[in-house]
Amino acid sequence: MRNILILLLVVFPMASAPAVWLAGRKNRRSRDFAVIAVTFIELCLTILAAVMCFNGEYAADLCGINLRLDGFRCVYTVITAFMWFMTALLSPEYFAHYHNTDRYFLFCLLTLGATQGVFLSADLMTAFLFFEVMSLASFPWVAQDETGDALRAANTYLAVAVIGGLVTLMGMFLLNNLTGTLVIDELYDACKAVSNRGTLYTAGACILFGFGAKAGMFPLHIWLPKAHPVAPAPASALLSGVLTKAGVFGMIVLCCHIFRYDEVWGFAMLIVGVITMVWGAVLGVLSVNLKRTLACSSMSQIGFILTGLSMCCLLGHENALAARGVMLHMVNHSLIKLVLFMTAGAIYMNVHTLDLNKLRGFGRNKPILHFAFLMGALGIGGIPLWNGYISKTLLHESIVEFYAESGLIWIKIAEWLFLIAGGLTVAYMTKLYVCIFVEKNTECQEKYDGIKKSLSPLSAAALIGSAAVLPLLGMTSGITMNRIAELGQSFIHGGELEHAVNYFSLENLKGGGISLAIGVTVYFLVIRGFLMKKENGVRVYADRLPKWLDLEDKVYRPLLLKILPGCLGPLARVFGENKVLAPAGKFIASKLGLIKDEK
Amino acid sequence: MLLTAVLIPTLAGLLLPAVRIKNRITKLILLMAVLAAEAGVCVTLAFGGDASFHILRITEGLSLDLGIDGLGRLFIILISVGWLLTGLFACEYMKHEKNEDRFFAFMLLSEGAMLMTALAANMATLYTAYELLTLVSMPLVIHSMTKESVSAALKYLFYSIAGAFLALLGIFFLYKYTSSMSFVPGGSLDTAAAVRDSKILLPVIFAAVIGFGAKAGMYPLHGWLPTGHPAAPAPASALLSGLIAKAGVIAVIRLVYYVVGAEFLRGTWVQTALLILALITVFMGSMMAYLEKVLKKRLAYSTVSQLSYIMVGLFMLSPAGVQGALLHVIFHVLSKVCLFLTAGAIIYLTGKTEAGQLTGIGKQLPVTMWCFTLASLTLVGIPPTGGFLSKWYLASAALKGMNGAFKWLIPVVLLVSALLTAGYLLPIAVKGFFPGGDNDAFRRIHEPRVMWVPMVILAVLAVALGLFSSGIADFTGSLASLMC
Repeated sequence: MRNILILLLVVFPMASAPAVWLAGRKNRRSRDFAVIAVTFIELCLTILAAVMCFNGEYAADLCGINLRLDGFRCVYTVITAFMWFMTALLSPEYFAHYHNTDRYFLFCLLTLGATQGVFLSADLMTAFLFFEVMSLASFPWVAQDETGDALRAANTYLAVAVIGGLVTLMGMFLLNNLTGTLVIDELYDACKAVSNRGTLYTAGACILFGFGAKAGMFPLHIWLPKAHPVAPAPASALLSGVLTKAGVFGMIVLCCHIFRYDEVWGFAMLIVGVITMVWGAVLGVLSVNLKRTLACSSMSQIGFILTGLSMCCLLGHENALAARGVMLHMVNHSLIKLVLFMTAGAIYMNVHTLDLNKLRGFGRNKPILHFAFLMGALGIGGIPLWNGYISKTLLHESIVEFYAESGLIWIKIAEWLFLIAGGLTVAYMTKLYVCIFVEKNTECQEKYDGIKKSLSPLSAAALIGSAAVLPLLGMTSGITMNRIAELGQSFIHGGELEHAVNYFSLENLKGGGISLAIGVTVYFLVIRGFLMKKENGVRVYADRLPKWLDLEDKVYRPLLLKILPGCLGPLARVFGENKVLAPAGKFIASKLGLIKDEK
Repeated sequence: MLLTAVLIPTLAGLLLPAVRIKNRITKLILLMAVLAAEAGVCVTLAFGGDASFHILRITEGLSLDLGIDGLGRLFIILISVGWLLTGLFACEYMKHEKNEDRFFAFMLLSEGAMLMTALAANMATLYTAYELLTLVSMPLVIHSMTKESVSAALKYLFYSIAGAFLALLGIFFLYKYTSSMSFVPGGSLDTAAAVRDSKILLPVIFAAVIGFGAKAGMYPLHGWLPTGHPAAPAPASALLSGLIAKAGVIAVIRLVYYVVGAEFLRGTWVQTALLILALITVFMGSMMAYLEKVLKKRLAYSTVSQLSYIMVGLFMLSPAGVQGALLHVIFHVLSKVCLFLTAGAIIYLTGKTEAGQLTGIGKQLPVTMWCFTLASLTLVGIPPTGGFLSKWYLASAALKGMNGAFKWLIPVVLLVSALLTAGYLLPIAVKGFFPGGDNDAFRRIHEPRVMWVPMVILAVLAVALGLFSSGIADFTGSLASLMC
């Protein structure tokens, strides 16, 4: 019974996808209803599975696909289903004027099944299988609009997915060869016994490549800021909120299983994590596109999670704070990004632009949008009493703890970068908030004010429902969030918490306060100063991101599309067209008198 | 029973032009009945017990014999099903070609020769069937009688026959060192004598493998493939690429594993040289495909590359490698036949031949392009499709069984080639389904049922066999451990 249930979590949405597609060919309304029904049933199933899981873990196995359910997986399957359900509520209105929506929903449900599969997988092979299906099935989301930008971003997304998948596969070959197992729970012991550390690190790096690319890790984040703005908003919410977490899932396997307590790996991850965290935030501050800002923010938040994961490695058995911080920040980021992207979608479906200068002032006098966005912004900004504060505090404390333990100056720097990245988060969220809800649009404010009913009841319910969760969690942190954090520990393998954390002690509030101060300073000095310019007498947001900083256009695309084929192509032609052997053969044959000269 | 399997298509092929049926429908129904009956016979044979049949004795120690063993079982199923599905597709496709009777006749004859190759019980039979196959499949290439197809067919003939002569040279030498030329798993080489004369024997075996490799498109004798395929009608390319080229694989397996024995070659320079050649082919084939613009030619280069995946697996000379190779045989047949059929459907229904022209094709021919996409994913080796399975076995075999540079080189080359495969196949599907711009510009074109049914069967099999793989994995595994 339980085994069937756990399989059903994966199979049910996948199996219902074609049915929904067929329903859509007949009638749009019945399809919308079907999508909502399917995601709702999936949500119920995950909750049912989670409740049944309270008695202990259980596993299922079908033709080589190993699934299991434990605390972490319960939380993430429920969150995944919840997010799909919420976006499904927004979708009927959002997609009202779209073409090819049947296609979107077909792949939407396929991806749901695959994503559940990733989170439920008990071995890396299964995880990889579903990960690939998820990557490919989510490709049509990005390409949905079929505009030039969308297709280009979709191609990047596909290329990252395919290349990432192949490199990960190489890593799995190596790992399997070294340890003989890919079962996640066995990997720690198996990897500890490996004497050939160099190869193990190579394997780890290869596996990290694919999962990291999906999560938006520097320098493989390139698809993120491009794909999110062009994808439909419900898809962006899922891409950012859930699919990146599937990448993080792989990284947890790396940091908390394969390289548990491994310092070398921990330091490497720390470097990558800090760069991702800071660079994402900087890009976010510089961006002048609503969804791009949110995408960069996702990248930055993933950096926070990576930093936490590196602390899990570095702190050894005393990693309780880091492990709980990682778990909570994953959950928080998923929920917050759901709210923010859905708000962005609600704005986009009214004004059909994401340019900050054009949608300026749209949110004035729109209480539902205002409420939802504010909850999200406060949550992600790490303001006390909202959920983001809790996880950021835990992550920050874990860095402080490691600094106290190691005394390394680099850790102190990392801590400051952490606070600065937190400050930048506050800054870019303030930028968005002020732009949308405070400032007036000089051109069409009256038109914007005229749009009174900007949301259908269904969409409004989705927004309010998802937004209300954030302060609710933040204010009942002692009960709800601590429990969620505890649930994750069987998978993340944090140590025992020595004493309960008082989130609102002066020490902890100080970290949040510093970030807030940095944020306010950056907002007023940098954003209002350097990042705005006067145009026709109006101060507008300026795009000051230098073009040469675009890794994709300046490095990856030329390398993959020009340099590599340019070098290897001629080499292949030498063999392919037998440029050496054929003339040589002809020469010898003519010398021997076997063939006559063509003259 | 064994003889019937070979005789049914051969006789039908000989009779077809002689009888001259006026009504096209009757003719096609008869044709399909023959192919279906043949598939039935082959499946019965494959699931029956071991059997052998003596045809005739040429001279002392040299006779034509048929027999069925594990390898034969695998191949006759693939061959008969492949021919059945391609035949179905050809019923529609050949409408726009002339002389379809001739085409069908040689198609049937090729099936007979191909089955004989698979069922051959000794080297003499195999060689006979192999040469026959070249002769009767050549008219498939030459079919359209254009200048281009004539030169392509001559090239095919030249490469295949030159290769076969190289192989024949090896067979002559080997004759002296083996107890008989019958196929015995593990080989029947007189080890003491062979080791003494290994200075002669090794180069000769090397030459023989290269010679048989010609049909499987292995460097340096791969040249016929990229010219032969685009010239032939699509069903013929599907057969040539998906199945007839596998005759080279069968011959190499029989030679290496059933006559010489893997033990004798393991660790010699022959193994190293062959592995290097196969790896060069893997990379070269996919790079050339990536650079190629004409769809069918691109698929032909892809075959060059994919067949050498199989060769790499075979030349690793380990059970795991052979198992990977055999699995790749299965999935390459399914996906490549499917891809060539889709290419044929595109040519037949839209007249487009170049990859660059295929923008929006997914909206015009959705079923075809869905099959194309699934088959492409199989060829790239994205899980859960079957191609992933074979790649997994091949790479694991290399990491576990090989020493030195090959340990790394083989998986890396396989993955780079997979990346290139994705690079030359997936953009077609992407552009096909997501053309951008005006949505109504691409009207759906009616796809005839006889065209899409075979493609769908193949594409679904390629994915489903990957998902439910334990059966074929066990079968190939036990076959491989028997051979090494």
